[in-house]
Formats: sequence, structure tokens, C-alpha cells
Amino acid sequence: MIDRPRVVVTGIGAVSAWGWTSGDLQRGLRTGQSAISELTLFDSSAQRTHLAAEVPPPPDSRPDSIVASRHLSRADRFAVAAASEAFGQADLSPSMNPVGVFFGGSTGGMWECEEYVARLLGVRAGRPGIACLASQQINCPGDAVARQLRLTGPTLTISSACASGTLAVGAALDAIRRGEIDVAIAGGSDALCVLTYSGFNALRSVDPEPCRPFRADRVGLSLGEGAGVLVLETLRSAQSRGAKPLAELLGWGASCDAHHMTAPHPEGEGAARAIAAALSDAELQPDEIGFVNAHGTGTPLNDISECRALHRVFGPRASGIPVTANKASVGHQLGCSGAVEAVATVLALVHREIQPTAGGGEVDGEIDLDVVLEHPRSIAPGSIGVSVSFAFGGACAAVIVADWTIGARS
Amino acid sequence: MSHEAAVITGVGAVTAAGCGSARLAEALATSQVIQTEVDRSAGYHRAGSARTAVTARHVDTSEWLLPLAGRRMSVGSRYAVSAARMAVESAAVEPDILSRASITTGTAYGAAEVTEKLLRQILLDGPEAASPALFTESVANAPAAQVAISMGVKGPNVTITQRQASPLLALAEGSAMVTTGRAPVGLVGAVDELNPLLHSVLDRFGALARPDHDGCEVARPFDGHRRGFLAGDGAAFLVLENQTAARRRGAQILCRVVTCGRGFDPDAPRAGWGRDPSALSETVSRHLHAAGITAEQIDLIVASGCGSPSADRIEALVLRSVFKDHPLPPVLAPKAVTGDHGGGFLAASVLAACGSPFGATPGFDEPDPELGVVPHQGGELPSPRLTLITSFAAGGAVAWAVLERSEE
Repeated sequence: MIDRPRVVVTGIGAVSAWGWTSGDLQRGLRTGQSAISELTLFDSSAQRTHLAAEVPPPPDSRPDSIVASRHLSRADRFAVAAASEAFGQADLSPSMNPVGVFFGGSTGGMWECEEYVARLLGVRAGRPGIACLASQQINCPGDAVARQLRLTGPTLTISSACASGTLAVGAALDAIRRGEIDVAIAGGSDALCVLTYSGFNALRSVDPEPCRPFRADRVGLSLGEGAGVLVLETLRSAQSRGAKPLAELLGWGASCDAHHMTAPHPEGEGAARAIAAALSDAELQPDEIGFVNAHGTGTPLNDISECRALHRVFGPRASGIPVTANKASVGHQLGCSGAVEAVATVLALVHREIQPTAGGGEVDGEIDLDVVLEHPRSIAPGSIGVSVSFAFGGACAAVIVADWTIGARS
Repeated sequence: MSHEAAVITGVGAVTAAGCGSARLAEALATSQVIQTEVDRSAGYHRAGSARTAVTARHVDTSEWLLPLAGRRMSVGSRYAVSAARMAVESAAVEPDILSRASITTGTAYGAAEVTEKLLRQILLDGPEAASPALFTESVANAPAAQVAISMGVKGPNVTITQRQASPLLALAEGSAMVTTGRAPVGLVGAVDELNPLLHSVLDRFGALARPDHDGCEVARPFDGHRRGFLAGDGAAFLVLENQTAARRRGAQILCRVVTCGRGFDPDAPRAGWGRDPSALSETVSRHLHAAGITAEQIDLIVASGCGSPSADRIEALVLRSVFKDHPLPPVLAPKAVTGDHGGGFLAASVLAACGSPFGATPGFDEPDPELGVVPHQGGELPSPRLTLITSFAAGGAVAWAVLERSEE
């Protein structure tokens, strides 16, 4: 075994339907309420469903003009806002370059691209101008972060659908462990757009009401948008500059169901292998995991598959591990959902409470899990959480995060 | 975790030249640019715009993917599955090992054709007209997923979208999957699909080579009169594995991945390239030095030079700065033949590192005095030991790799 550096989280940032900071996310999540409401970003009258967890306009108090920049796409602005928050909290500066940027996303500036295509097709009035397309590519939010923060390290965007954000965190962890960089901005960003809203409705995957993960009457997901960012750095780097770790990133794992383009493996085979790989990477035993931040979309197939995956990994103990699903509160943020949920996992460790899973109703009798409902659940110092993500095409990924507040793990 | 070098033991490609790396090698050796007219019937293109591309649309892939099996796949997915099967067959990977392999794929533009079709359905006929099958294939990772499903590959499955840097970033991440023990074998690929809308948008950004006075569209990498690149599409896949494991199973080792590097130019505009090469030069030089590689050890360069005025400029200036007082080794610019797409570039890079012959760079007539780079003009190339491959992406991302030719 080759010695590898320990990697800690020294900053977090988030944009969600609860607001433009990680503090907004934490306050919203712990209420046990849902931020899913009537969609206003575009006309949904011809859609089957009409709800989403839409990011509100930035508050007037937001000091940076970047969130209002017309040169950035909506997804770019979310990314830059979340990254700026994390960068500031970690007290980083460009003098620490090379700092890497590892981002996840699925649609980039598709919302803006749709306007171009609509005008090109004559569906909407106006000349199709290409300026909006300069931020259309999926890599644009990550690039915008690197450009805004003047970072010169490795910059790459992973687009493996809804596992993208989690895979980006994992790729950043490996780059730090390999010694390529000491510090990385890891996360993801995605914005609502007509294409994905229509596509998920075409698949009949969207719940007309706010989604209810793991509940008996769940019928589908709710779409959301936002961004989540973590500053990762070696413990040595953090200690040398006096930065305070918020949590420790212990490991990650990934796999593929190789089963179906949209349906998860019914027995959660790939998901279980991803979690097992993360445990192995973190050098942990399953019984050391204290809670699970689930993918928990609220679709009938996902939730039962995920439940079976957790039982495969944790055995009978799976019934007693607290499980939460943030998507009930902030919707399914697609390519950045894993990043936002990793931020939520850090918040849970920092505040020593697991956020509840929003939405009413009884837990499905087939879901033999301890789903945290209604109120936050306290967790002990030294807890370890696993955050999992699954995606179209069968991509599965998991990251494992540990409490730092009791000090260094041996 | 181990840190043994990854080696490349298989290559597969679907390019305008046909199926297989041999077809591509022949096109590169004879400088044959296989251009076809892009369908302009949708009315997306403006008068005077580029008309051609180097696409693999006409290539028959049925030997590798039965039409029935690929009927619900996007063009990119069909390219990817075919190329991946070729690579796995050429490397003779056993099924048990293959089932645990990772897949790391790069794409510049994702599922362009499927996305356009889906948008047309939604915008013209309403959201209820959206096809679930199209939506499923519209995600950027659809080709990687289809490779996994069609071949039963259950290791980590990652798709990278970083424009022109995607193939080398995929090589870096895929190589790391193998060297850190996350997978016994890594399938590393690049795939892109070109459609009329994407072609027209690239043209509107002024990125493409437009018709010359004689009506020809020619990419002129590093030339003083370069005006843009030839768009292209296709796919390539490589098989990577640990050197010891490859030797143990008697696999033919094509080349070794010595090192992969990457950086970012924060001064680059969103859809373009920066002007100042100094920081990137320092980054590349520092990386090569840390890897124990000196400029004079590099025998060959495979550049991403494609005929773009600003992309070729920054790449040339960085290369010259990295080599400082040393003369540049021969510089290949395969995108003049393959068009600008990751699959062609990735496969051509491996062919070059393996000593495959290259013909003269099409379109190069007159050096650009500011650049000072003359791409290969034909004739025999030195048998390379170390080959430096560089790619400079619009938006600021940069990636490079050094491959070592196998003596085995």
C-alpha cells in the first residue's frame, strides 16, 4: 500500500431552490419542507406536470455582479456563485495555483441554446444570435469557475448524467492523491431547461406533485436546478495555511449497471458495487457508515433498487442506518445533484444532524430502511456518511465523508 | 494502489476513412482527406458558409454492430460501440477482465444530432411529442453507456466533455483508473457526431474553413493563410492495462502512457483561445520536467493544430517555448486529414507513437512567421521513442500526454 495524502473539505458552496448559499440550503433542508413549487422559468402549460425546484432570483444583498452577468448562462452563474462561496470560505487565492476544477453537469447552457433554436426554427420572434451559444457547452460552468477564480490547474467536466457531480468529486480526490495538485474545486452545476423537463415527462418519470422518495405512494421525481461545490485539499495544505477542515473525504467508488439505458438494475447490483468500491477505497468496513445520503429520486424503480443495493452492502444492518433524500426538498438537480448532496452530507456532519426527507406519506413497506422523516436526526461526533448517485446509462458512484469536528481520524 | 505505468494494447476506430485503425493509417500515410457535403436542406447555413465535413456517416459498421442492435442508438453510440468492439478484439481482452473494465470517454459536443431532433419535436410539435428514446440518447454519456451495455462492462463509467481536450483528458482519467487499481483494464475513447445544426453553428462562430477561391475547403494547420478547421466526426477506443498484467497475458503492447498533464488558461474567452502562451508554457515545461522528460528526448509531436487561427497560434507558441533553444522535432497535424474530432485525433496519436508513416500535411503551403512551426512535409519520420501529444480546447482547457513506443 502506497501512502496517500489525507484530503479534507475546507469550503463549501451551494445554490438551490432554497437560495444562493450553502447556509440557505442547510436552513431549507432541515425544515423538512419542500422547495418544489410552480415552475415559472418557462411556460409549462403544455407539459404533463408543472412543478420544479427553481432557483429564486439572487438576493439584492449579493455583492458580486457575476450572478447577474449577461455573458454567463444560468448554469454558469450558479456554478460561479457556489464556487465563489466555497473559495471564500476556504480562504483560497489564485496564488495557490495550480488549483484544479472538477465539475459535473448534464446540460450546460441548454436553456439559452433553446432560445437560439426556437428563433432559428421561427417558433419565436427575433434574430437567432450566437452570443448565447458561447456558454452552451456542458463544460462552460466549470470553465467559468476557473476563469472567474483565475485557476490554472487541471480543468475538466464530467457529464455522466445524474452521477456527474459525484464522479467529479471522486476524480478530484484521485488527482490530489496522485500529487497532481494540492487543492481542487469539485462540484457541479445544472439549470432547468425545456429539453430535460419535456424529456423526463416523456418518460413518465415526473410526479405531478412534489416528489416523495421512499414513500408508498411515490410516482416519480421532481426536477430541480442549482450548484454544489466543495474545496478539497490535502490535510497538509490545509494545516500549513491554517485552514479549518469541515470534513474529511475518505474515498469514492464507481461502477456501471450495464443493464439498461434508463432503468436501474432491479437488485441494485451496480449501486452496491459502487458503494462497496467506495468503502474499499476509504479502507472502511460497512458497519462504520453512520448514515446514507441517498440518490432517492422518488421513482418507483429507483427507490426499491437503491434499497436493495443498501441491503446488499450493509446486510440486515441496512434497516437501521438513517437514510435521507435531499431531492424531496430541492428536486433532482441532475448533473449537479451528487455535488449538492455531497455538500449536504458535509453540512450534516458539521451540524451533527441528518436533514429530514421532505414530503408526506408512509414509507413503502417494501423499503426496509430507516428513512429520516419530518425532523432532523442527531448524529454522533465522528460519524461517517456515504452519498450515492445513479444515472442514465447505469453509471453509479458514491463518496464517503467523515466528521472532522472531533479532530483527526487515526 | 499501484503506480505502474499503463500500456495501450488495443485500438479501434470509426473514421471517414472506414472501420479500423488500418484504414485511418492508410489515409494518414497518403494524406487523403475524405470530405463529404453536409446536408444544408434545413436552412441553418448562411450563404458562403462552409459546405463540407470529414464525417464517418457513410461508413458501414454492420460488421461490428448489427443494424437491428443499433437501431435505437444515436450515431455517436453506434460509432462508439463499433470502435470499442474493434479495440477489445485487437487487444484480445478476456470476458471476465472486460466485465470489470472502466470506460472513460471524451466528447466535445455530445449527442448533437439527437438533441437537435428532440428540440425540434418539442419546439415545433409541443412537449408531448418528445420521444423518450431520443431523450435517453441525448445525454452525453449515452455512447459510453451503450458500450457498457452491449459488452457487459461493469467498471466505472465516466464521460468527459471538455471540447478539443476531451480525448487526452479521457486518456488521463482512464489511465489513472488502471494505474490506481480501480479497474484491471480501461477502455478509453473519444466520440463525436456532427449534424447540420452543429456544423452551421461552428461556421457562424467563424471556426470552419470556408470555400477558397476555387471552391475547396481546406484546413491549413500552422499555415500563414489558415482560416479555420474542417469539422469531423467518428470514434476511437483504446484498451489500457497495467504493463505487468499485459505481459502476463501475452498481450501485444503498442505503447506506454508515460505521463499525462493538464492545465487551464483563465484568459481564454468562453469559445476561443488565449493570446499569451507564457503561463501554459511554464505549466507544460514544469510537468515534463517533473516526469523526468527533457525536450531533446521528445522525438515526435502530435499537435491538435487544425487550421484555426487562434488555436494553432497558442499551441505553436507554447510548443516553441517548451522546446526553447532546441529545434522542434517533427510535428504532425492529423486533424488536417481526420477533421476536428476527438476520435480521429486519439487514434492518429497512437498510430504516430507506434511509428506509423504520415504523409505531408494537407493544405500547408506557407509558414506563419509568428508561429514558426512547419508541420510534417512528407518523407520518412524518425522512429519515435517518445511522442508528445497536445490538445488546446476552446475555452481554455489544455491537455497533453507523452507516449513511449513499445520495443516488445
